[in-house]
Amino acid sequence: MAIENIKTKGGWADQDHVPGIKSELLELNMGPQHPATHGVLRLVLHTDGEIVFKVTPVLGYLHRCAEKIAEGVNYKQWVVYSDRFDYLAPMCCNHAYVTALEKVMQQEVPERAEHLRIVTAELSRIASHLIALATFGLDMGAWTPLLYCFREREVILDLLERISGGRMLYNYMVPGGVRYDMPKDNWAADVLEFITMLENKKIADYNNLLSYNKIFVERLGNVAVIDPQTAYDYGCTGPVLRGAGVKFDCRKDDPYSLYHKFDFEIPVGQGEMGAVGDCWDRYFVRVCEIEQSCRIIRQALESLPDGPVQAIDLTKIVKAPAGAAYSRVESAKGELGHYIIADGGQVAFRNKVRSPSFCNLHVVEKIGVGQMVSDLVALIGSLDIVLGEIDR
Amino acid sequence: MDQKEIYELLAEKLGPAALGFNDEGVEAYADVEPGSIAAACTFLRDDERLQFNQLMCLSGIDWDGYDENGKGKSVKILGYTDEGQPETSDHVSEGDFGVAYSLYSHSRRHKFTLRVRTPRATASVPTVSGVWTTAAWHEREAWDLLGIRFTGHRDLRRILLEEHWVGHPLRKDYQMPGTWDNVPLHGQPYCENPFPPIEVTPDQPAGDDPAEG
Amino acid sequence: METLTDLIRSIPGAANMSDLAMHITISAIMATLMFIIMALCALVFTWLERKVAGFLQSRYGPMRTGRWHGWAQAVADMLKILGKEDIIPSQADKGLFMFAPILVLLGSLLAWAAIPWAPGFVAADLDLGLIYIFAVSSMAIIGILMAGWASNNKWALYGAARGAAQMVSYEVPLALATIPVVMYTGSLNTQDIVIAQQGGILNWFVLRDPFLFVAFFMYFIAGIAETNRGPFDMPETESELVAGYHTEYTGMRFAFFFLAEYANLFLIALIAVMVFLGGWWAPIPFLDFLPPALTFVIKGILMVFLNMWVRWTLPRVRVDQLMHLCWKVMIPVTLICVVGSGIWMMVSGQAG
Repeated sequence: MAIENIKTKGGWADQDHVPGIKSELLELNMGPQHPATHGVLRLVLHTDGEIVFKVTPVLGYLHRCAEKIAEGVNYKQWVVYSDRFDYLAPMCCNHAYVTALEKVMQQEVPERAEHLRIVTAELSRIASHLIALATFGLDMGAWTPLLYCFREREVILDLLERISGGRMLYNYMVPGGVRYDMPKDNWAADVLEFITMLENKKIADYNNLLSYNKIFVERLGNVAVIDPQTAYDYGCTGPVLRGAGVKFDCRKDDPYSLYHKFDFEIPVGQGEMGAVGDCWDRYFVRVCEIEQSCRIIRQALESLPDGPVQAIDLTKIVKAPAGAAYSRVESAKGELGHYIIADGGQVAFRNKVRSPSFCNLHVVEKIGVGQMVSDLVALIGSLDIVLGEIDR
Repeated sequence: MDQKEIYELLAEKLGPAALGFNDEGVEAYADVEPGSIAAACTFLRDDERLQFNQLMCLSGIDWDGYDENGKGKSVKILGYTDEGQPETSDHVSEGDFGVAYSLYSHSRRHKFTLRVRTPRATASVPTVSGVWTTAAWHEREAWDLLGIRFTGHRDLRRILLEEHWVGHPLRKDYQMPGTWDNVPLHGQPYCENPFPPIEVTPDQPAGDDPAEG
Repeated sequence: METLTDLIRSIPGAANMSDLAMHITISAIMATLMFIIMALCALVFTWLERKVAGFLQSRYGPMRTGRWHGWAQAVADMLKILGKEDIIPSQADKGLFMFAPILVLLGSLLAWAAIPWAPGFVAADLDLGLIYIFAVSSMAIIGILMAGWASNNKWALYGAARGAAQMVSYEVPLALATIPVVMYTGSLNTQDIVIAQQGGILNWFVLRDPFLFVAFFMYFIAGIAETNRGPFDMPETESELVAGYHTEYTGMRFAFFFLAEYANLFLIALIAVMVFLGGWWAPIPFLDFLPPALTFVIKGILMVFLNMWVRWTLPRVRVDQLMHLCWKVMIPVTLICVVGSGIWMMVSGQAG
């Protein structure tokens, strides 16, 4: 592919392109096995030296036919498959599915269950953002924040193991409530202790070590800027959209569960270290979201009411009346939605999963052009994709 | 804006191509003629009062065998038999394909759902990737898994499955493959077990606590 | 060297050895000694690196092999690496592929010849000592390019290209930062440079004048970049290139690269000590009882520790930012240090 036929806008390509010289692009494969692609993502790059002229993501290495399975197993059984999408924030995925299902079933959920759902979903969100920070730092060459973030994540995983039985994949929420009530061994106090430590000490640690580090800021400031129009067009949601300066969060702007009762802010990228919508903004939105999640958890636990945690008897068959609805939640990665078509039976007729990472990754085809290879790695790290969601 | 009002604006623009509005269920949706879906989406995105700037979700649907009465008697998908062979069925698929578009407006804060239906024989819908670029990948996925062809799409090829996969798995009449690349699937033995069963006597008599080692 | 010469002549039957034979014998002994030291330093520093990394990351690092803080981990690693299968990619350029690690290892080993361990104890007492060290350590660059090209792997080529560009660029501030010291000493002989710093910590070149102070830090940063470590490890970024130019190497060949990296690391540290931090002289007269070689090595280990500390704390600098830093920041600063030191020397009357 000859370079003079490729038009790139902006980035480095303008500076380096010497008109009149005929040269070819190097076709590189950032293969499914690669330390920086956050999973089994294959990117076919066409580069000229360090500058990328074309990025083609090749997906499907982790396709596990979850939507077909949704048409084969009943509603209660499919909850366990929803965990496997975003396996770094599985409670959010559970939450998305049961919220969508309850919308179709028009099923009420007891308040205690809603509170527990919110607490566990926010803990999952914190866990996912910790990995986002950790692996992003690792992509940039900072080895130490990885260990610090994983140390905190261990505590979250232990807490979630006590309430649900699983460390990483929980199968915790069910249509009509949650599977288990809070354990009686001081669980709420431990959660509060953990988030206090996180708020008071750890986030300041991460900011000192990584966020404001000059080399980190130089690597990410003004790199791979995603403007709001591109974000809308490509369906980007979550920290990608918020990093671009758009104050949109499903928890506030399309409220579900009991989020309207809690007081929290939506952090938005402000171009502190460069343009609004650069990699640093997306990264810092995640750091701020950890703090906001801590606030939500504290409020949810302090106002936890008594009562049952399940509205449906799960030993009976769970059916959803005929109908279809799209419902979305704010997962850690963005807007995770389900379009469920029910036919009155216990098996879904169609369950289409709209995953945030699928849409976020698409933006790489546009924004990745004209970046250097290192900046492409920064871009993918800042999008925080998880292949389980993309490939389903 | 109210869902009904949005539909009225749309019907005004599309005329006879707007087939109907259904708000009896949990979520209201509008049925649109497939041929004018691109015009409808462009209108919905560009009109001042509507400004649907984000396509939240584009779902391909195989309506074959859908139980209209809501009794849960829809056609079941084909899996594997107990012996590990792909299930077959005599059912002849006739149902339509459908695509559902879930739209959202960030500025006006309203949602809307559009649906199109296309007969199984043609299975073709014009693309909306010119309206929202995100549709490009969603439509590739619908093509890959359901076989709905999106006319005008610049790059309609498989996205989640391999390029040389045969068939469209999410269809209700899709038969599971028996082998793939000469590897038998689901429950069929790779080869004979080379290790004959042997009698195993335990080292310790039963009843000892394994934790004590 | 005189003691060693006398020692050898005192062996019965060797008293009448010709000068040439004596020269060859001593060279052979010193080369073996340098090689042993290099191998030992690789062992010690792999262990040290893992412990330092562990403690910085609030974990312990190796704790099991060898009971006490896993000191035998490095030995175990070496044994493991020797047992690995030697794979050469089928399309790789075999000759270059096999020769590259040798060149890289040579590049670091040869430079050890001019390091003064103790008064009179240096493998090769060259009048051009310092220049020799910088000249010879450039051989590694050719080795890296060969490794990247011969691997028949586009990512390895990326790493090699970046590595070559980086190492060639950072040679300049590295050498320039030591020029003020040469000006003070009036000689390139490494022994003379160390001897000129006797008299306690205040006589060390790093504290002689503010320009030399800055030059020390320039040297240290350029040294980190020379060894492809720390914030400047673009050629072997694990998150982009898996392992850069030595992706396709396994077993003993990989061990050569590994050895060369740690040998280079120690070399840069020792040169920093020798040129700026007083060589084998103790900082305070109280510590004079320590053998000079031990003081030298301890200071070298402290510098290595500093290097590791920096590596595990800071993220990676991007290639173009790295080159910008070298050519547009460090070279002007080192040039200013050279000129400034010269002026300081004249003004303070030390010019000779």
